[in-house]
Order: sequence, then C-alpha cells, then structure tokens
Amino acid sequence: MADIALRSCAERRPRGAATLLLGLGAVALLASAINLAAHLPEGGIGAVWGMLVAPAMDDPAQALIAYSYAPRLVISLLAGAALGLAGALLQQVLRNPVASPTVLGIQSGANLALAATLVWTPELLAFGREWVALGGGLVAIGVVLLLTRSSGFAPLVVILAGMVVSLYCAALAALITLFNSHYLAGLFLWGAGSLSQQGWDGTIFLLPRLAIAVLAVALLLRPLTLLGLDDMQARGLGLAVGAVRLAVLLVAVALTGFVVASVGVIGFIGLAAPALVRLCGVRGTGARLALSGLLGAVLLWATDQGVQLAAASFGEMVPTGAVTALFGAPLLLWMIPRLRLPPHATPALSVRGDHGAVRARRRLAWLGALLLGMLVLSALFGPGLEGWSVSWPGPGGSGNAVALWPLRLPRALAALSGGVMLAVAGCILQRLTGNPMASPEVLGVSAGAACGLTIALFLLADFGRVEQALAASLGASLALLAILALARSAKGSPERVILAGLAVGALLDALVSVLMASGDPRAVLLFNWMTGSTYGVTTDMAGASLLAVVVLLALLPLIVRWLDILPLGGEAVRALGMPPGLSRIMLLLLAGVATAMATLLVGPLSFVGLMAPHLARLIGLRRPLAELYGAALIGALVMVAADFIGRSLAFPWQLPAGLVASMIGAPAFLWLLSRKQASA
Amino acid sequence: MPSRRALLLGAAGAAMAGWPLLAAGPRTPDAPARDPSRIVSMDFGLTETLIEMGRPPLAVPNPASWTQWVVEPALPAGTVNLGTDREPNLELLAALRPDLIVTTPYLDGIEPLLRRFAPTRRFSIYAPPKGDAYARSIIATRALAAAIGAVSAGEDLVGRAQATMEAARARLTAAGLNERPLLVVNFLDDRHVRVYGAGSLFGDVMERTGLVNGWTRPVNYWGFATVGIEALAEIPAGRLIYMEPVSPDTLERLAASPLWNTLSFVRAGRIDRLPPVLMFGMLPSAMRFARQLQSRLAEAPSHG
Repeated sequence: MADIALRSCAERRPRGAATLLLGLGAVALLASAINLAAHLPEGGIGAVWGMLVAPAMDDPAQALIAYSYAPRLVISLLAGAALGLAGALLQQVLRNPVASPTVLGIQSGANLALAATLVWTPELLAFGREWVALGGGLVAIGVVLLLTRSSGFAPLVVILAGMVVSLYCAALAALITLFNSHYLAGLFLWGAGSLSQQGWDGTIFLLPRLAIAVLAVALLLRPLTLLGLDDMQARGLGLAVGAVRLAVLLVAVALTGFVVASVGVIGFIGLAAPALVRLCGVRGTGARLALSGLLGAVLLWATDQGVQLAAASFGEMVPTGAVTALFGAPLLLWMIPRLRLPPHATPALSVRGDHGAVRARRRLAWLGALLLGMLVLSALFGPGLEGWSVSWPGPGGSGNAVALWPLRLPRALAALSGGVMLAVAGCILQRLTGNPMASPEVLGVSAGAACGLTIALFLLADFGRVEQALAASLGASLALLAILALARSAKGSPERVILAGLAVGALLDALVSVLMASGDPRAVLLFNWMTGSTYGVTTDMAGASLLAVVVLLALLPLIVRWLDILPLGGEAVRALGMPPGLSRIMLLLLAGVATAMATLLVGPLSFVGLMAPHLARLIGLRRPLAELYGAALIGALVMVAADFIGRSLAFPWQLPAGLVASMIGAPAFLWLLSRKQASA
Repeated sequence: MPSRRALLLGAAGAAMAGWPLLAAGPRTPDAPARDPSRIVSMDFGLTETLIEMGRPPLAVPNPASWTQWVVEPALPAGTVNLGTDREPNLELLAALRPDLIVTTPYLDGIEPLLRRFAPTRRFSIYAPPKGDAYARSIIATRALAAAIGAVSAGEDLVGRAQATMEAARARLTAAGLNERPLLVVNFLDDRHVRVYGAGSLFGDVMERTGLVNGWTRPVNYWGFATVGIEALAEIPAGRLIYMEPVSPDTLERLAASPLWNTLSFVRAGRIDRLPPVLMFGMLPSAMRFARQLQSRLAEAPSHG
C-alpha cells in the first residue's frame, strides 16, 4: 500500500491516533460543559437527564437543552463520523490520499441542485430537500468518475476532475444566486453547513442510515482490504474489483449525501479525519476506517462546540461547516509535504514536436486578426432599449446621441488583458511543472488574490481601487510564497503544488461562505466581484492593464529559454549554466504577478489560464514562444467574447465575463481531460 | 523574430490608436437640474419615497422583484429595468439620459460610475455605525424632496408617516398589545431566521407604535441578526410576526419541529403572517408595516 501511505511519524508514534482522539475529545468535552452550563437552569447537571427524557415544555431552558443543545451535539458526532468514514472509504477505494466528499464535487453538486430547485421548481422541495441534494451529489460524482474511468481513477486525475466539477457547480450556483440574492439567503446558510438543531428529527434521519452504512462497510471490509493492493493482485485473489469499487463508492456517496441533506455542506472533515489517521501511522483497513469515523466525530464535535462558545461571546452566528473548512484548508497545506504520492498518471506535457516557424507565424497572425475582429464587433454591436443597434466611435453620432464606445471598450480591453495575463501565467506554470493541469486557477494563485481582497473588504472601512490592487497582490503573493516554499521543500513535485493550490482555493470558499452566511450585505458586493465582472473598469484601469500586458508580452522572449530548458530537469539546467532555483522562482513570480492583476480584472473563477495553453498546442503552436503568444491571443479572444456574451445575452442584465468564460472553459477542460486519458 | 516584434508593435499601436476613443467619456454637471423629471433610483426605499411624493423614477434595478418585496406603493408600469443594483446597465443608463440619479451608501462602489451619467445624490439610511432607520428616513426624505424640488410633498409624506404611527399606536395600545414583547422575523429556512431589532425599520416602527420589541440583543447596522430558531427560545416574547416571502416547505417543517412547538408564542397560537414589507425601506414601508400591524393585531383575531 505504498502508494497511499504517508511519510509519517508512524514508526515513532504508534499510539498517536489514540492520543489525538483523547486530546481532541477532552477539548470538546470541556467546551461542551461550558456551553451546557450557559444553558443550565437550576437543578444542576444531575437534572439534565430528566430534561432530556421528559422536558418541561413550558420551561424554555429545558426545551433548549432537550431540543437544541443535545440534538446538536449528537448530530455533530453523527455527521462527523459519517464524513470521516466516507472520506476514508473514498481514499481507500480510489487509492487517493486526498479524496474526500468536498474535493470530489459531491457537496457542491448537492448545493447546486438545491439552489436550482429553490429558484425554479420549489414544488420539488415537497419531496424533501434530502432527495434533491442527494441527486445533485450523485450526478456530480457520477460525472467525475465517468470522466476519469479511462485513467483507472488515477488520483490526480480524479481530484482535478472533481475540483473542476466542483468549481463549475459553484459557478452555476453563483449565477443563480446573483440574480436571486435576497431569496436564497437561507441557502447560503445551508451551503455553509449550520448544525443548529430544533429537535431530534435530524438524528432520527441520520442515525439509522449511518448504521446501515457501517454494516455495509463491515461486510465489504475484506474485499476493501484487498482493493488496497493493485488491481492485478486483487483480481488474482478472486476479487471482482469493479463491483467492489462501485459498492464502496455508493456507500461513501450515500453517507455524504445524508449528511449534506440533514445539515448542509460541512467542509473538510471527510479529508482531515482519514488523513490524520494515516499520519498517525495506523495500519490495517478496518482500524483505519473505524478510527477515521471516530476522529471525524470528535473533530466536528470539538469544532462545533468551539463555534458555539464563540457565538455566545460574539453574538454572531457562524456556520460550523464553513469553520471546519477554514481549519481544514491550512491542515491540508500542512499535510501536503508529508504525503507520499504516487507518480502522477496524467500523460506528460508534449513540449516537443516542432511545426516550423512560418506556419506558426501565420497562425498567430490569424489569431491576432480574429481578436481584433472580436474587439471591434463587441464595441460596434449591442442590444439597447429598441433592440440591437450599431454604434460608431465618437461622441454620439447616430440618433441615439450617446457614445457607447467609452462604455464598451474599457470592459473589453480589461477582459482582453485579464485573458492574456491568465493565459501567459498558465503557459509558464504548465511548462514549468511539466504538468498539463497546472494553471493559476488550479494552483490557487487566483484564490489567494481573492482571499486578500475579501479580507481587505471587511477590514478596511474605505475601500478604493488602490487598496483593492494592493490587497489582491498581497494575497496572490502570499499564496505564491506558500507554493514556492512547498515547491522547494518538496522538490516542486507537481502534485504537491496542485494540492496546495486546492487548499488555498478551499480556504477562499470557506471565507466567502462565512461572510455570505453572516448576512452582511457587503458579502453580495464581494460575490459580485468574485464572479469576474468587468463592470467597474474605468478607462484608466483599462489603459494600465493594457500597458501591463504589453510589458508582459515584451518580457516573454527573455524567459523563453528557461521554459525550454527547465522541464529537462535540474541536472540539465545546471549543465547549461543556469541556477535552476533562481530561474524557477523568477518564472513563478512572473506568473504570480500576472495572475494577481488578472484576478483583479476578471475574478478568480475563469478557466482561461488552464484552457488557453492547451488550445494553443491543439492548433499546433508547440514551441515555447509560439505557444506563449498563441495562448495569450486565445486567452484574450475567449475573454473578450465572454465579456461580449455576458453583456448582451440577457440584456439589461449582465453576466460577469469571468463566469461566462468558466461556463465555456470548464466543460472544455473536462472534455480535454477525458480525451487526454483516452489517447494515453 | 518578426512575429514577436509585430505583435508588440501591434499591441502598442492598438493601445495608442484606441486611446482617444476611450477618453471621450460623457461629462455632466455636478448640480442637479432645478426640477429634475428624469430620475433614476438605485434603491427600492428611495423609489417608494419618490412614488409617494408623486415623482416616480424612470428606471430602477430589477423592477420585477418589486411585487415580491415592496408591493405598495405600486411601481408604475413601464418602469425600465436596469439589471442588478450592483451593476446597473450603463449603456441603458446613458440612453435614458437621466437628470438625477439617487443612490445609497450600499452602492458607494459604483457611485463614481453613476456620476458620469447624471448628477448623483446619495442618501444614507442604512449605514454604519448603527441602525436608526426611521429617523434617518425622515432626514433622507426631506433631503430627497429638496433635491427634486418637491419640499412640500416631502413634508406631507413625513407628516403622514407620523400620523400613521400615532394612529397605529392608539389602536394597538387600546387593544392592549403594548404589554408583551413581540418578535418580527423573516424565515431564511426552517432552522434560521432574520430577527429585527432596534434600529431596523421594523424595530423603529414598533417603538413608535408603542409595541415592545422582544429582540434586545446585538444587531448589525441594517438592524437585524441572523440566528437559529433556538435563540428565540431564550426570548420571553408573547407573539411572533413573520414576514412574507416564506419558502414553501418552511412552515410545514416547522410544524414538525419539537423546539418550535415548545416556543411560548407557538403554544399560545400567537403567530402572525404579514404580507411583504420592504425591510430596508423608508417611510412608505414604515407606514405599510404600521398599518399591517394595526389591522392584523388590533382589528382581526389572530390565526396561528
């Protein structure tokens, strides 16, 4: 089972898991006692049992303990256990140390299904939110597994597909929310995982289902253990590998679905619990599953009691699920250098294969012409009060007497700049890591910039463009620093770097969830920006970003030699007289700064940085410089088109360019992912 | 590499060629016209005030949601849809050629943009440090009335609002409803509510109509707190009022919730459902809320 083992303190601390459980349990117990004391009426602790069995209905304090405090404690244990177990099962069956309900898109799929139902077919809710959520989760993981089947569910491929499906669902849900922000306030809470209870019905729902799942796991235990071996060996021992996999997956998805249905999205328990158990060096499938369940229960219990303690002193309700994600993301970051990952199964980036400079030049010229055409188109045409019309540059002109170019062009140019910067950053990162799935979006650089902006939005009373730029750059730089540190300590292995990005992205999600759930109207502003709107772009901003793009494009010929050589490996680079560390850092820095600026312009959600380099290679631009310029042009083209579509599709409503781009980009990426494996 | 140089030159050239096209933004005077007639309102609270003063705006964001959140006074048919309030459609705004745009601190982020199209006035009702909705609404109403040259209509509205409060106060006091605290909430789902405290429009109306607001805990500057329903158990409230809209499955689920059923006002059957009133509104919403309280509590027997 070397492939999923963790390089750990195992040998040194064989009883680590027990210590961890007991320690966390003690903390949780203490917090629970304090919380209980706050509710406790006269009669003391001895009277609690009596209250639970037969609460005096007219005493609010007793009713609170019997129908709120106690069921909340129980549901935190049950939900934690279910998620811990689900995570452990997913990790075991996919042989993937970072598989979890959050990462595989199950939770955001459920969230999207619920949002859509709430807005369009509220009648369906009569069947119960549970089933809607469960359906959404099943579809999401179904898509992930279908897309990654041909890779044999290779860990990195599964996670990437899961993450993209997850982001896509989040983007769609964001779109729904944008136009229905008032009505869906309750959904934010649900999406953020509030454990608040008002009776035992949650427990009654979850307990028997958890029991059945545990029973199923017990029955599947032996084949599950064999599944840890590689498929050949397992088959040799007479195991129907496919059937067992499917059964275990179903159990894991069902467990997640039940939790999601009863309390909402609880981030990261399903990842943290089994991972911590591994880190503690627990061997044996049965022990690991059981301990993961237990640890999940205790983790959520402790977190929830802590949240209640905090809520009692600050008066603001914070959803527990979002808090677990806030803790979970740094935990994942901390774990990454300690993970021992299998060599990634995605086919390596084909960087060779030259098609002659003349053809490349002609293709670039075509792309440039197309981009120019798109720009002019998007400035010329647009819907208005009396349908579509053509508007020429200059003040007024036609009967309308309003100059529209100054309104349209800055947005189009900002979109263009964002697209170029993301595409270039994507190219650099993909070349550098030799990993076709690398990109600013995937590596968490965009999310880092967004995190910085979010924090600044809520800390600074006055919030202008300069502060925005500074905060975003700071956030991106911090994310980049984390990744740099990781890349150095872990020899820059692409999987680790991508996982770190994943963690930063999750952190952003958690942060936004907490803010959205707080009901603060500023959250809607944040949300608006997050979706990648070019709305507020001024002429000055558009000019500045265009200038940055020109500088960036001018720098490219200088870095292209590094990109050519670095993927060959440290030895080759040193042999050619370049310090590998320095050039690597310079490249990462360039990619990071470009991403920060792009994030300010088009938000963190678009997939342009991932898509554009692939498309460039797809049309035969394979040499580094041609690929860089080709990707830049394609990125610009996609973003300008997205901005145009977003402005005119639902006039007078405007869909954010970043979101429109991801609506195009995510399916394209998934298609690319499955195609790549098929050809591998 | 000519391709590279060509690209750079092209990009720089495009940037320079395009510059004059961008710089020619519309310019507008800072002071509003003496008697603006083409008003664009970015906020439903300001919109209802304008309508009550007889000067309905030309365009508002998302007018379709008016019937869901405001209802009364009716929004004139043909009011142009500007899109979302955070991102009103600027091309549309330009085409409408407004002579006054009214906005709130909530939209400070886009105020500089709005200024490019018409003189823009900002009225602060819901803003830090803390809520004071009714008093601020009076100030804003007068300022708005002055800005559109309708001072007497503004005074009239303020007077009507005061009179409505006093009438409601008399009726509610006479019915003995001023003795037990009550709670006003919006259901977010079957486990959470937004509860309105001091400084919210609802809270201020309750205070002015002699009712006792049961929610005395901290609220944000919009005047509400988001809490789990269990938090309501700790409040010695004699009555609960919940506002529409309510999501369809919420009440059904609540009926099955043990904790909900132990709440004192639930057991006493003192729960009232009120049609929508804009919770972030101004005087017209305050009047509507007061009238609804009066007719629901003092004039009709309570239905569960």
